[in-house]
Amino acid sequence: MKLSGWGSLAVLSTLLYTPLCLAHSQHTSNWAVLVSTSRFWFNYRHLANVLSMYRTVKRLGIPDSQIILMLSDDVACNPRNTFPGTVYNNADRAIDLYGDNIEVDYRGYEVTVENFIRLLTDRVPPDTPRSKRLLTDDRSNIFIYMTGHGGNEFLKFQDAEEISAFDIADAFQQMFEKKRYNEMLFMIDTCQANTMYSKFYSPNILATGSSELDQSSYSHHADNDVGVAVIDRYTYFNLEYLETHVKNASSKHTLADLFNSYDPVKIASTPGIRTDLFQRDLSEVLITDFLGNVQSVEVDGDGMRLDEDLLALARGAGYNISEAEWKEAMRGTREFYEASPSVSERSTLEQKTWAGPARVYKDGETDFWRTVMSAGAVAVCFVGYWLFSIVDKA
Amino acid sequence: MALRVPVNLRKNLSVVLYAFQALSVAAVIIGLASLLLLPLDEYSRRTYISENALLPGQVHAYFGGSEQNIVRAFRKEVAELGNSTSDVVAFRMAEIFRSAGLKVGQQKYSYKAAGGEYTGENVYAVLHAPRGDATEAIVLCAPWKNIDHILNEGGVALTLALSRYFKRWSLWSKDIIFLISADARAGPQAWVDAYHDLHGANVQSLSVKSGAIQGVVVVDHPGPYHRFESLHIMYDGINGQLPNLDLINTAVQISRDQMQLRTDLQEMWHHEDTYRHRLRTMLRGMVNQALGHSTGPHSSFIPYHIDAITLATHGDGWHDEMSLGRTVESVFRSLNNLLEHFHQSFFFYLLMAPKRFVSIGTYLPSAMLLAVGLTLTAIRLWIDPRSRSSTDDGQAVVKNAGEKGGDEKKKQTGDQAATIPKPIDGGPKRELFLPLSVVIGVHFCGVIPFAVFNTVDYKSMANVFYIFIAASFVLPMILATLIALTTPPRRLMQTFHLSRCFSLLFLGMFLSTLATLNFSLSFLIGLFSLPLTFARATPTSTPIALMNSILLQLTSPFAALFAVAGYWGLGVEDVLREASFGWWVWGMWTPAIVWCVWWPAWVVARVSVDASFVMAATGKVPVGA
Repeated sequence: MKLSGWGSLAVLSTLLYTPLCLAHSQHTSNWAVLVSTSRFWFNYRHLANVLSMYRTVKRLGIPDSQIILMLSDDVACNPRNTFPGTVYNNADRAIDLYGDNIEVDYRGYEVTVENFIRLLTDRVPPDTPRSKRLLTDDRSNIFIYMTGHGGNEFLKFQDAEEISAFDIADAFQQMFEKKRYNEMLFMIDTCQANTMYSKFYSPNILATGSSELDQSSYSHHADNDVGVAVIDRYTYFNLEYLETHVKNASSKHTLADLFNSYDPVKIASTPGIRTDLFQRDLSEVLITDFLGNVQSVEVDGDGMRLDEDLLALARGAGYNISEAEWKEAMRGTREFYEASPSVSERSTLEQKTWAGPARVYKDGETDFWRTVMSAGAVAVCFVGYWLFSIVDKA
Repeated sequence: MALRVPVNLRKNLSVVLYAFQALSVAAVIIGLASLLLLPLDEYSRRTYISENALLPGQVHAYFGGSEQNIVRAFRKEVAELGNSTSDVVAFRMAEIFRSAGLKVGQQKYSYKAAGGEYTGENVYAVLHAPRGDATEAIVLCAPWKNIDHILNEGGVALTLALSRYFKRWSLWSKDIIFLISADARAGPQAWVDAYHDLHGANVQSLSVKSGAIQGVVVVDHPGPYHRFESLHIMYDGINGQLPNLDLINTAVQISRDQMQLRTDLQEMWHHEDTYRHRLRTMLRGMVNQALGHSTGPHSSFIPYHIDAITLATHGDGWHDEMSLGRTVESVFRSLNNLLEHFHQSFFFYLLMAPKRFVSIGTYLPSAMLLAVGLTLTAIRLWIDPRSRSSTDDGQAVVKNAGEKGGDEKKKQTGDQAATIPKPIDGGPKRELFLPLSVVIGVHFCGVIPFAVFNTVDYKSMANVFYIFIAASFVLPMILATLIALTTPPRRLMQTFHLSRCFSLLFLGMFLSTLATLNFSLSFLIGLFSLPLTFARATPTSTPIALMNSILLQLTSPFAALFAVAGYWGLGVEDVLREASFGWWVWGMWTPAIVWCVWWPAWVVARVSVDASFVMAATGKVPVGA
């Protein structure tokens, strides 16, 4: 009865879980990697771009611990800054992007091609703090935003080196092989940006950029007191949409809506969208799938793993269940899953190797006699003490 | 030893000689024509800002409002001190700077040149960048008296007011030095020398210093008038060096686009951007560059690789000192944005309108071609058979072959080929001793005028100059007579020939080298030296010799000096004093080049021409003439 109870619970939870799974991304965490690659005061706008995106993803719920913010220069504290300690992305200076709640993970000269690729592929030195690591898994959706000065298939880092489209594509493939993402949204605002994602070949990547080959990306406007351009056009119009439409993390706006809002005339370049590597229909992909954090609490693990996890839980709770008994109880669920194609078979196999903290007893042995024995021992002690005290009084 | 030419050409050398002549003429013509083509749209370019960091005109300039009262007050202060001595002025200026909370330094200097003494006291103040690191500085300079010796009331008042105003901003990344130099010529030089510890005992060291100077803006707003019409941007440095084009472009863009101020270059007040105006602007710029003198306080900074310009007001219009102040403020905000020393844009260029220029790649060929014309002539003279000595037994016929065409030549060469088997490089040798000693000796003589004009007193300058003209007139004649009387006839023509050859060779090489450093000077000397290519010894034709002689006189360094004096409306002694002052104070090389390179080349040419008269007069007709 007990076992069948567990089985029905598993079936119930899977049935509840499955329809959600079809409509929504299968991710369980959201990460953002926001990179400004250019140095120097006159590139203020690139830092403002990135900080704007930082503000947006934080607004939509991604915690600082899951945002890797790479700022290649410190314009806020540049002596040339008319308003020390601030970064604004608009001449109205309504929002100080630098604020008092900002966590920069890679700063100044730490922003290099090497560090960026190491971050993506998690090939970092052992003493790297967690704040500088992209601790994602195959259920993480990653939003990668880059901005700086670029050209055909390259993006300049720090006025000293550049990352090529091939470098990023290969890094993403490594991420895929190391199961470091579920889906990825790559967004880049630079000159000839669309060439940067042209070399991607790993699955489940959606990419968008600000301008085509041989097209420049332009700044939107300058602040005449700060004395520099404060934001780029593509980022500006992305933000405009996000600020006016995606009010909170429960927003139902999709990436199709966002991409449809792009106006090449306003942006002054032709933004590109690459969907061929991406499995889902954009009109079903919520913006918050990438820019927001996972809001609803879900059972850890996918359907295939659920029964294994339940078995482990059951054993952990002390129930002595054999593999065969469990399979019998789970038959219904398994049949249901085997009918639909599995996406993450290998991970299931790996999952099986995990034994869990279960206490395993031989068949037929139960707790009852153990309990009786221990209770008896305690009783004997009390009786012994009582007898001894009587003898002592006498 | 001789130029290797195919044997058949050796027999028929006239083809080669004519080819060289044609080439050198073509080089000169193309060189001149290409200079005249430069102002056309196809050859010149619009200026543009290369340095991304500058961001000219992207900031609001806030200098205005009540600041105007402060400027007016300082103007009054300056006007009252107008007739005071330099030390009183420096004392009062230092007081004002100190009251604004700046570190102040004073510096006395004294230069001696052309019998005159140039003394004064500079005063300057350093505004440390509140959030900067004191490794770099920019300079705002106002000479107490401008280059025309007019009290720079507006400029000094504005500098004082701006020193208070700039102090209130916290956004400076570089220190700002406010310099009030005692004059516009020696003062800035003394200051910049001392700043780099390269000053002599006649100049005091600086007590306060800052970082490496990245840019200098000089404000020249003389006289009691508040209002002006346009900004005159002066940019020529000592020895024809120029500031980076980005600095000029920044100033032009800010004045024109942000402040709606007209900008002028090279005193072209009515520039309509036509071919004529562009050409005139360019030529005026070239004259300034060729002279290599200081056109304002900015000039002294440029040899230190510090980019500097002077913003001088001109005319009477609706702009007041506030417009000038805002322009300076905006230029300073741009300089403040700099991350590295100016390096992106051109250092070698010719400006023909405030927004149009040609860069070195386009203009260099014209000066080079002139120099090439001289060098080609030298090579032609070398391979010319007349440069070889004729033997006594009439072998000179071979050498005549080049000049005398026709069947006679064929017959003679045919005879020789039949009788004497000649080596390829055979024939009579060139006698080099005499021509080389003439050329080298005359070049050494160039030191004499150079030394004399740099030491002689201003009062006797004109007299010494006229004596020197007379001496230069007589010297070639004496040399020609000596050579003509002492040299055997068979070597006579050869001597003049080879001395011209060496002299032209040296001049050609020197000018092509100079063209990369001071294009204008090289071009102008090349232009004046054109007669040297054809002024030769013509013992058979006195009229040609006379014509050559007159042409040489018209294109002599003296004629050029008179031309320059006439151009500026000065006496020739003023030009010489300027040259002497330039040499002693600024380290100006123009007099050295004129006296030690150009003048000797001219003398050598004169020797050949004068020899024609001597030979004609003495009846000593050389063999082969």
